[in-house]
Amino acid sequence: MDMLHISDLHKRFGDREVLRGLNLSVPEHSIYGFIGKNGSGKTTTMKTVLGLLKGDSGKITVNGERVVYGQTATNRLIGYLPDVPEFYSFMTASEFLRFCGEITGMKRKESETRIEELLSLVGLGCEPHRIKGFSRGMKQRLGIAQALLNRPKLLICDEPTSALDPVGRKEILDILLAVREQTTVLFSTHVLSDVERICTDVAFLKDGVTDMQGRLSEIKTKYRGKDYRLETETDSELRLITQAFPHVTIGEGNRATFCESDYTVSDVLHFVADRGIGILKIERLEPTLEDLFMEVTGR
Amino acid sequence: MKSLLSFTKKELLEQLRSGKILLVGILFTVFGIMNPAIAKLTPWLLETLKDSLAESGMSVTEITVTAMDSWVQFFKNIPMGLIAFILIQCSIFTKEYSSGTLVLALTKGLPRVQVVVAKATVLMALWSVGYWLCFGITYAYNAYYWDNSIAQNLLFSTLCWWIFGGFIICLITLFSTCFRSTSGVLLGIGGTVFALYLLGLLPKVSRFVPTALTDGTSLIYGVKKSEDFLPALIITAAIGFFTLFVGASVFNKKRL
Ligand SMILES: Nc1ncnc2c1ncn2[C@@H]1O[C@H](COP(=O)(O)OP(=O)(O)OP(=O)(O)O)[C@@H](O)[C@H]1O
Ligand SMILES: [Mg+2]
Repeated sequence: MDMLHISDLHKRFGDREVLRGLNLSVPEHSIYGFIGKNGSGKTTTMKTVLGLLKGDSGKITVNGERVVYGQTATNRLIGYLPDVPEFYSFMTASEFLRFCGEITGMKRKESETRIEELLSLVGLGCEPHRIKGFSRGMKQRLGIAQALLNRPKLLICDEPTSALDPVGRKEILDILLAVREQTTVLFSTHVLSDVERICTDVAFLKDGVTDMQGRLSEIKTKYRGKDYRLETETDSELRLITQAFPHVTIGEGNRATFCESDYTVSDVLHFVADRGIGILKIERLEPTLEDLFMEVTGR
Repeated sequence: MKSLLSFTKKELLEQLRSGKILLVGILFTVFGIMNPAIAKLTPWLLETLKDSLAESGMSVTEITVTAMDSWVQFFKNIPMGLIAFILIQCSIFTKEYSSGTLVLALTKGLPRVQVVVAKATVLMALWSVGYWLCFGITYAYNAYYWDNSIAQNLLFSTLCWWIFGGFIICLITLFSTCFRSTSGVLLGIGGTVFALYLLGLLPKVSRFVPTALTDGTSLIYGVKKSEDFLPALIITAAIGFFTLFVGASVFNKKRL
């Protein structure tokens, strides 16, 4: 069953229609990457799922339960990290987490051990100061700790790695990977390498609808290009090939790429075998997420 | 229920660490001391001004100060205490809107109505502590210098004023759920009180208007009886609870 299902969601701000019939289904135990350029409506979508914004029309369910605006009961299943998390600055990190634990109705003892565990997980274990003095990255880490606190069924993170240093980014991605066993993760990002690193599913948001969505591996297969790359042992051997096949483009090293619409693979391989050319490698090119992103966003 | 308690605790901690509890404490202590002090100093003040007053043709007769003068001062000064209290506390909701701090608590499943209840309760508690502190100090000084028993309906008249303060807190809550900005809240309260004041000028309805509760001076002099305040008391309580209810329902649908 889908952990989160959005169907035909519309949302406009004034005369600007941000979401125009968005559909999204997030299967259980997936790590779902939600990709789109600035201002495409990622944050808007997430806020609507949390009942912080009212969709104009459409239906959202979390774990089969309908989301309503305002007093949103489904939020008890969700851990949320906003794009810019705001805390009560007069509290310390552990005071804030204790406050969160009490609100979600966790048992005192359970929350104490959980808080200690989470604080050391996000690297705020020995931070005695009040949140007032925290840097953006520290707030982001605390934000992740509070989102994970009551072991939510669905974890929604709005650009969780945006304020972090490279080490912090890797740590957070590892945390998201690790919690996959227990929860489902939906996170928005611009950082495609993050997506490639941990996501099982992706959706591209464009013009208020999801342009492309599903398993990352399937999407890649579907959009796999017809391009091949060939690497020979020596320069002269490469030249033999380019003479026989003029449409082959030469790259750096002894590499060349060709498109299947120009020459079939078997033709090229026959030629290679007949001439006894030594090749190091021939491979079909995988599209990078970047290519897909460019293709979807049309830039 | 546990979440209500914990949010209330958070409010109190915020009041404490931001120094607002201290501020309210000092404010009402100062007012409490000021009431008997002004009464006590009046004869002395008149004595020193006697000559210049005589020159301008006014004669000063010997005056005796009683606890009454001190209580009159109490009812004269407490509006300023309430106004200061409003100014200190009017951002209790709006600050959370502008900083966005409620988002995390609410997305953790805190029922929205509990936010309203907790904040109103903390305001009421703080107002009560401040108000009765002020009352207690004035009462103690009066008992020491003079005799409190000459003031009629003393407890009832001060109780009425305290309830009027509670009514204002209901207004803070209501307008805080309606408006996003602190100035909106202040304008809402100011506008309502002004409208009630104008309404109170009409002889036919003056007995029913919440602002009638502030006329403690007439009560202690016995010009008015406690029964005269009953209609206003009932109506104030009714409007107060109604505004809380409306505030909670508005807040339930508020965009944060
Ligand atoms: N409260 C609002 N009032 C008016 N317009 C809004 C509001 N919130 C968002 N928008 C508009 O909706 C569009 C989508 O905003 P949103 O924050 O969802 O984008 P995003 O995909 O999260 O962008 P980013 O990658 O920069 O975080 C933007 O063009 C923004 O101007
Ligand atoms: Mg965003």
